[in-house]
Amino acid sequence: MEKSLLYLERRKTGEAVEAELWDDISDEHIQLWQDDWLPLVEEAKQTLERAGVPREKWPQDLHWKWDKKTIWSRGLLSLRRFTITCEEKLQGLMLVNLTKMTGRVAEQKGKDLAYIEFVSTAPWNRPDMTKEPTFRGVGSVMVRVAIELSREESFHGRIGLHSLPQATRFYREICGMTELGPDGSYHGLAYFEMTESQALKFCS
Amino acid sequence: MYLWCIYYIFERKFMAEKRTMTLNLTETEMNVLEDLAAKKDLNKTVVIRQALRLYQMVDQRIREGKKVFIEDSMTKDKSELVLI
Repeated sequence: MEKSLLYLERRKTGEAVEAELWDDISDEHIQLWQDDWLPLVEEAKQTLERAGVPREKWPQDLHWKWDKKTIWSRGLLSLRRFTITCEEKLQGLMLVNLTKMTGRVAEQKGKDLAYIEFVSTAPWNRPDMTKEPTFRGVGSVMVRVAIELSREESFHGRIGLHSLPQATRFYREICGMTELGPDGSYHGLAYFEMTESQALKFCS
Repeated sequence: MYLWCIYYIFERKFMAEKRTMTLNLTETEMNVLEDLAAKKDLNKTVVIRQALRLYQMVDQRIREGKKVFIEDSMTKDKSELVLI
């Protein structure tokens, strides 16, 4: 498994902190997810439960089982896994599928793209799960990773994803992706796509 | 500062080391490969790689006991894809 250097911004001080991007999700990462991340997710679920928030309004990624997703996807050539760690803690996880979707935006219709199946930021980085999130930038780095993977695969930076409701603003406004509206064939989630030129702009 | 920090990183490549093989195709097969490469804006190696990924994924799903369907987007008619 390869790792490379990147930086995340500590929200409290604005300082850049050295972090690692891993091009897989290892057993050690899964252990970190189970030990540190999952208990906070369970806590968040209980808080939502106590507050009487209907389950359909809970952040849907609270249900994602990264251990199962990782084990299932290992050995499948279409699926690529990525992990970000910083200060020896897990900060983000992502699963990208290289064959699931082709482009829907007119200028790239039918062309291959890297489809982000799942991407999650650790609970301690999320304003919806903690009062003082630790790092900023995990989501943006993961989008950048998917773009680079797409380029490596000769897909020219084209990426696609279905967004959970709480993340649509991020993909539309921060990433500059094209929103194609709710997808009836995919739980009604909004589908977003990034074109080659949008990828260039995002990375410049 | 922040943007520079996150965009500074990606020097390294995600692709694993590759091995080379010779692929013998009939003229018809080569025509299909070239046609797909042109349509998809990919080179022939990437088309073969994508085909292998898809074939493996479909095979895996069927091994798991799942069924793979192709749906007509207009009529919603479904036909099952069967690998023998």
